[in-house]
Amino acid sequence: MSERITFWYGCNVLRHGDIIHACMDVLRELGYEASAAGGPDFCCGSTKDSNGVAADGMAQRTVDRLNKRGASRVVAWCPSCHLQSAEFHEKAYEPKYDMQYFMELLYQRRAQLKPLLKHPVPMRVFIHRHIGFNDMVPVNDMAPEILSLIPGIEVVEDNYRGPGYMCAHLATVPAAMTRLIRETEARMRRGRADALVTLYHQCQRELVDLEAQGVTQVFNYMQLVARSMGLAYEDEYKAWKKSPEAAAASIDEPRMRKVGIQFFDKAIVPELLKKTPR
Amino acid sequence: MSEAEAPKSQPRPQLAHGVRDYLERERQRILATCTSCGKCSEVCPMTPYNENKGSADAKALAGGVLALLRTGKTDEASLGWVKACIRSGCCVPACPEDVNPKLMLRIGKMIATGGLGGEKLLPVKEDREYYARIRAFARLQLSDQEYKEWME
Repeated sequence: MSERITFWYGCNVLRHGDIIHACMDVLRELGYEASAAGGPDFCCGSTKDSNGVAADGMAQRTVDRLNKRGASRVVAWCPSCHLQSAEFHEKAYEPKYDMQYFMELLYQRRAQLKPLLKHPVPMRVFIHRHIGFNDMVPVNDMAPEILSLIPGIEVVEDNYRGPGYMCAHLATVPAAMTRLIRETEARMRRGRADALVTLYHQCQRELVDLEAQGVTQVFNYMQLVARSMGLAYEDEYKAWKKSPEAAAASIDEPRMRKVGIQFFDKAIVPELLKKTPR
Repeated sequence: MSEAEAPKSQPRPQLAHGVRDYLERERQRILATCTSCGKCSEVCPMTPYNENKGSADAKALAGGVLALLRTGKTDEASLGWVKACIRSGCCVPACPEDVNPKLMLRIGKMIATGGLGGEKLLPVKEDREYYARIRAFARLQLSDQEYKEWME
């Protein structure tokens, strides 16, 4: 009998529906009965440090909602959610589940994952890594092992680790972000890398513009896992970033109606136009 | 999956009465434990990006963060360090007193942005469409059924 788990994907990864769908497919293929949970109603509260009342309320609400899902294991995609849960939720509330990070689960199940990775992805990749979070889950070592299971993938050996634990925070310090990009580009050239591979959606969001700028291809590691599994999910966010002016026109009318063209133009297009500093 | 692969349940210490109570307990613990030795600041990869560092040394910066935790106020150099912190966590193993400087700076940032009450010392970027934008992306990328089952 398969184990029931809750896949807690987070909030901002909803820009990358292809990643969420790929994770769900992998979990099913590995034999889990996965139920997905995420979005603002499952927000961990990590973005509300400037409003302690709201952050506390969100923590309590989310622990309660994940408890009600009934699974004894919650598998988190987002490093911020995972950290917030370990560093705050568990200190103040009573999760009735054990929390595990998604990449850690993949790593543990790599023997079962390997036969699913049937399609070659010929590519020499540079893994974008940070200093932080690795103390909680050793993602910097797990990621190259997982990627190396994909036929055709070569991982550039490199010891560079950016400050912080993800680029969304780093982007608030532009000088540090620019330095990280320059260092990454230089090391990719030295390593003759074909593509930059991110581990978190927060980095994918900040770095995917490098592909739009013609610097390098940019993928999240799960997009390469999905490609090797033969999953055909489209990275729409990347397509929109490459052509912000044409993004609205590429979305069919029934989907756009759910969002509203005015909101899309006002709230989403400016984000798509934002450039990664170099 | 084997039992060895499943995450282990650890006995949990006594729970705080909510996150704010936990933060208050930690604030007091840090104030009682930290000696302002400055090891945390010495290893921090973000100190070069502290725009207000001036001539402040590592001990002064650590002491300034403690002052922020104690009084809700501090000097510009220490505030600059709090602002630049992006949670690398290099400070945690560097601390000889088990203070958890990463949490110390995060509590400092919460205080400085008014998150725990008191005067706002650092500006907060308001993004009133933050969650609406996330819902919009979800509407675009999830099916109606997924939206209902996964988001609500």
